[in-house]
Amino acid sequence: MNLALGSAGVTLGFAAAVLGAVTVGYGLIRNRPELVRLSRWYAGLVLLGGILAAIAMERALITRDFTVLYVADNGSTKTPAIYNFATLWGALEGSIILWALILGGYLMAVVVKFRKGLADPLVGWAIFTILIVCIFFFWMLVGPANPFKSFSPPPGFDGPGPNPLLQNHPLMAFHPPMLYLGYVGFTVPFAFAIAALITGRVGEGWLLATRRWTLIAWGFLTAGILLGSWWSYEVLGWGGYWAWDPVENASLMPWLTGTAYLHSVLVQERRGMLRVWNISLLCATFALTILGTFITRSGVIESVHAFTTSGIGVAIISFFALIVLSTVVLIGWRGDRLRSPGRIDSPLSREGAFLANNVLFAAFAFVILLGTLFPLIVEAINDDRISVGVPYFNRMTMPIGLTLLFLMAIAPVLPWRKASGELLRHRLIWPAWIGVGSMIFAVAIGARGFAPVLAFGLGGFAAGSAGRQLVLATRRQGWRGLIGRANGGMIVHLGVVMIAVAFAASSSYVRQAEFTLTQGQSAQFAGHELVYVGQNIKQESAKIVDQVLITIDGTGPWAPSLNKFANGNQTIGTPSVRTTFTDDVVLSVIDIKDGENGSVTIRVTVQPLIMWLWIGGGVMAFGTLLAVFPGRRRNPLDAVSAPVTVGPPKDPTGVTA
Amino acid sequence: MSSRSVFAKGSPIRRWGPWIAVAVVAFSALSVAAFGTRSAPTAQDRVSSLSRTVKCPVCSGESVAESNAPASQEIRRQIAEQVQQGQSDDEIRSFYAAKYGQAVLLTPSASGVNVLVWILPVVALAMGIAALAIVFRRWSSMPQERATDEDRELVASALHPEEVADRNDPHGEGASR
Repeated sequence: MNLALGSAGVTLGFAAAVLGAVTVGYGLIRNRPELVRLSRWYAGLVLLGGILAAIAMERALITRDFTVLYVADNGSTKTPAIYNFATLWGALEGSIILWALILGGYLMAVVVKFRKGLADPLVGWAIFTILIVCIFFFWMLVGPANPFKSFSPPPGFDGPGPNPLLQNHPLMAFHPPMLYLGYVGFTVPFAFAIAALITGRVGEGWLLATRRWTLIAWGFLTAGILLGSWWSYEVLGWGGYWAWDPVENASLMPWLTGTAYLHSVLVQERRGMLRVWNISLLCATFALTILGTFITRSGVIESVHAFTTSGIGVAIISFFALIVLSTVVLIGWRGDRLRSPGRIDSPLSREGAFLANNVLFAAFAFVILLGTLFPLIVEAINDDRISVGVPYFNRMTMPIGLTLLFLMAIAPVLPWRKASGELLRHRLIWPAWIGVGSMIFAVAIGARGFAPVLAFGLGGFAAGSAGRQLVLATRRQGWRGLIGRANGGMIVHLGVVMIAVAFAASSSYVRQAEFTLTQGQSAQFAGHELVYVGQNIKQESAKIVDQVLITIDGTGPWAPSLNKFANGNQTIGTPSVRTTFTDDVVLSVIDIKDGENGSVTIRVTVQPLIMWLWIGGGVMAFGTLLAVFPGRRRNPLDAVSAPVTVGPPKDPTGVTA
Repeated sequence: MSSRSVFAKGSPIRRWGPWIAVAVVAFSALSVAAFGTRSAPTAQDRVSSLSRTVKCPVCSGESVAESNAPASQEIRRQIAEQVQQGQSDDEIRSFYAAKYGQAVLLTPSASGVNVLVWILPVVALAMGIAALAIVFRRWSSMPQERATDEDRELVASALHPEEVADRNDPHGEGASR
């Protein structure tokens, strides 16, 4: 039943996407708008296909229908309900269902949002492009990544359940959907960019039409990445939240190019420039989401030689190549229209700062791409195995990050066109004092080291200038001044500063140690006192939880544990985290010795300011929300750029002879 | 020139004074941060920072510090012994590289092909900056369209039909009011 329903859904989605693309494409080429308008029906059918597939899989998971191979591989009667639900995205095939479902949802949203303009070729071609992407993902579900393969379970069969790490924390239910809403969301602006190239309407129309879509996708991606790092912090138990591993890098790369795009698009909106660059950034962002899927799902990271055995890897990398190739060809074809007549007057201007921002973000993304792929390249070239890990990424990205913070301090106060030194001296002096003040404060409370203290200073500087803009805006318009893209953006900046400061502090001042304690024994570490008070063994349906009770500075007891899962012989540790505004203590159990007076070995990680990563993430999400709402409409005649000197130099008294 | 005029509005000291103060304070805070006394890293700190640079030989992509695999626990214990014996960080790392191969080091060495992973980002960034410099040079050599007085009067009369061209306030900023 579930198999039939699911297969029907997948086939329906695939067929609707193919027929839709053919119909819409034919209608566009033959100029028959009534055919293009049919896209709303096809969109509905694609979405319906996705929904059916997802419902069938959830139903199979919930009823433990082991005749579905995916459930037999990843489900178990012992898995608690919430993780059972989340198993949909716990393995490759299921996660493609989620991807296809979300893609169908975005397609439907586009069709509804632009329902009055469906006959417009720009919208038509965008819908066509999304349908092509739908074809690819539904084809994956029909063919190489079919989740609805059948299985005949022997009597009394029970599946192994999802990977134990994926059933250890409720964040697992939220992080992947958020991330996918972000990844898939970039399909919409990408499709409009392609449509603009095809129709030749490469002006600013498509940018304005997709502005909010891009922002929403970016917001989801940001939230998804941060929830992912929170999950790994709470679950993996090594005390860290960001390991620069390929999966994390794959999500960060499109975020970086997407962030660059969000900034440089403003230059195009205002000055009509950078058209090729913006289209390239957007296509790169979308292509990187696909490349990220390839990196994380094809097994290529284990070894270059692994991926040729998986048809899925070949399929995804071919799709990636198709995207890159068609973008390059289209941009080359439209080269003449993409040239813009404008010029940027001075590097010291808002648009100059956005260009510098773009160079830095592009370099950042390049470092991560290179570091992630380099071991594969080396292996492919001379069959040598090397690793590129945390120390490399930290060393290479730190200077870029610091320069970005500096830019974040200067750019918000810069006017368009050209800034004078006088203006900068005037506008930046208070933010600069806030930066210097944060450095003095940091040094006074004992922070040492050049890079982290510089990061605190630049963080204060950037927060100061974001704060200055917000104060000015609220002074002018009260709380309404916070709504809108510019000032919502400044709130996002404040969140970024919090995360940057927390990252610098926690990675520079992390302390870690292992202690072996017998019951009642205590240990001192990094200004905290830990006492091992006892053990507590709990029997749960899917696992046996062996908790080690430890008090930290008299609070608690905190209970890091070892979990023995019933299926599989894996033992997974679950850390326990004591969070305060100033520092976090992470306890994880390394070993429990059996016996009456058994000792336990625990690892203690103390890091400052971790909580500000999550607070900063919340602030970023809030700022994105504010930026999505339309702000005050600017009077088009208001002067916002710096005055242009005309003819005779301006008399400072304002009296021209 | 009287001594008061040095501090008069618009004088270099009035313009740059606050910024010189900012620079001096920032510089001293940073030097304290960089060169000030700090507690020497304990043996435990060295062990944990070293184990973050050595890859767990049996896991995929985790460092010895992150992994809880028995092999990693063993290496952590071994690193602690080596630190106790007074070996240097490089000695310890090359010991593991010799034992498990180069892939065990999470920092790629700067020799052979591996040099590329360090150099390419720098080259890319330099090219980006050079490209920016070139386009700015091209832009600045482009002829600039300037508004003529006629254009300005046209704008002014459109803005304030009644008071034609308020020349003291060419940008409508209200400076003359």
